[in-house]
Amino acid sequence: MSESLHQALDLSLFWEYRHVLLGGLAVNFYVFAAAAVLALGIGLGAALLRVNRLPVFRWLGTLHVEVFRNAPEYIMVVWVHFVLPLLLGYIIHSRLEFNPFVSSVIGLGFVYSGYFAETFRAGIEAIPIAHIEAGRSLGMPERLIFRRIVLPQVVRRMLPESVNQFISLFKATTIVSLIAVPDLMYDVTMITQQEMRPLPLYTGAALTYFAVILAASSVLRALSERWRARIYA
Amino acid sequence: MTAPTIRVVELHKRFGPLEVLKGVSFDVHRGKVVSMIGASGSGKSTLLRCINHLETPTAGDVLIDGESLCYRASPDGKRKLRPLSEINRMRRDLGIVFQQFNLWPHMTVVGNVIEAPQRVRGLSRKEAMELGAACLARVHLAEKATQYPARLSGGQQQRVAIARALAMQPKVMLFDEPTSSLDPELTEEVLGVMRELAADGTTMIVVTHEMGFARDVSDRVMFLHNGLIEEEGPPQDIFGAPKSERLRQFISKHLR
Repeated sequence: MSESLHQALDLSLFWEYRHVLLGGLAVNFYVFAAAAVLALGIGLGAALLRVNRLPVFRWLGTLHVEVFRNAPEYIMVVWVHFVLPLLLGYIIHSRLEFNPFVSSVIGLGFVYSGYFAETFRAGIEAIPIAHIEAGRSLGMPERLIFRRIVLPQVVRRMLPESVNQFISLFKATTIVSLIAVPDLMYDVTMITQQEMRPLPLYTGAALTYFAVILAASSVLRALSERWRARIYA
Repeated sequence: MTAPTIRVVELHKRFGPLEVLKGVSFDVHRGKVVSMIGASGSGKSTLLRCINHLETPTAGDVLIDGESLCYRASPDGKRKLRPLSEINRMRRDLGIVFQQFNLWPHMTVVGNVIEAPQRVRGLSRKEAMELGAACLARVHLAEKATQYPARLSGGQQQRVAIARALAMQPKVMLFDEPTSSLDPELTEEVLGVMRELAADGTTMIVVTHEMGFARDVSDRVMFLHNGLIEEEGPPQDIFGAPKSERLRQFISKHLR
């Protein structure tokens, strides 16, 4: 093994800074959780627009999905952080500045709302109309039918695909160091500037992400399978 | 004589250029069982779906105990279309059982049965559970209460669907070909439950291909052809002395 390769794979430096790096990983989780909540909420809203009876609402929903699904997260986060405050500030005639954490949650949340909207929509359209008619025939109002009959089935149907999207979203949180959110990658960059040894830190970060994502997604998949198996026997 | 529980008045239904119902009128009195027979495409299922407004009739009206389902009289005496919220309230009086059961797969059997009583009629959970147990007992499935529908046979699922409709204590039970997607041995258990309901005095309108059931259980049989009632009468007349040629042909094809 060459000397440089040996150094790149040596994790002792990574271990030395484990407390700082763990703090960074926690920030990744916060960004992920907040962005996921935002993406699910807005995604559901956009999906409801896309299945609306009125064409103008459907059109707005499609616009939302296409705009955000086709925007790279990287550019979106930078744009939200630097351009959006200028734009909003111009409208309300005052100087605005976004906290980097807020910008990254908005940027990632909106991009992933485009993906979740499509997953929700597919789930809603997969519910047989007969299930809805059964509710109507028992005198259930449409909102109650949506909340009790449609949505719970949609959530179960979209679970497997959502796990994949959650994984993508978590991986996407590694770009927030770009606007100085102190996440794991940000810490890696900072330590690199002190130690001048970037490669072992990147190896350590890669392994950490891999382990965390593998563990979390395995648990999620197992849970969602058990939950679904009861129903779709 | 009291007002009929259900009165159907000159009902028309058109899907684009296709006129499926061309003016159907009939009454169903309390405690009576009416069977509707006829070839596929004769309009029987559409008629049933129009009665509880799952399809909006193009013209005509349905009266439940004398009250119009489609219109309401406004103070100035004009008839206005009834808003959906009121139709929803009135639909509770019309239980319907579908060909494909249409149970909600994410709820247990008893969950399916108590959903509407609890959230539409506002029963407490305890009251709803007692009602649910009673309704499941009527279809002989009390022991399946905590199972999920996917674990049940087609016949059992259809009996749960009957219990779910009964739980709203409707004035009329509508059956839309309830045994058409079942194997013969499962058909019998569902028909058995329906016979018991009829014997208990349940008012029923049954769209069916089961001629034996129509003949043995109904008070009246209606034969639909091309969106009109071609012939109607007591079962002994319909099956014993059919007048129209089409009904004769239909019966000879279906009754062995």
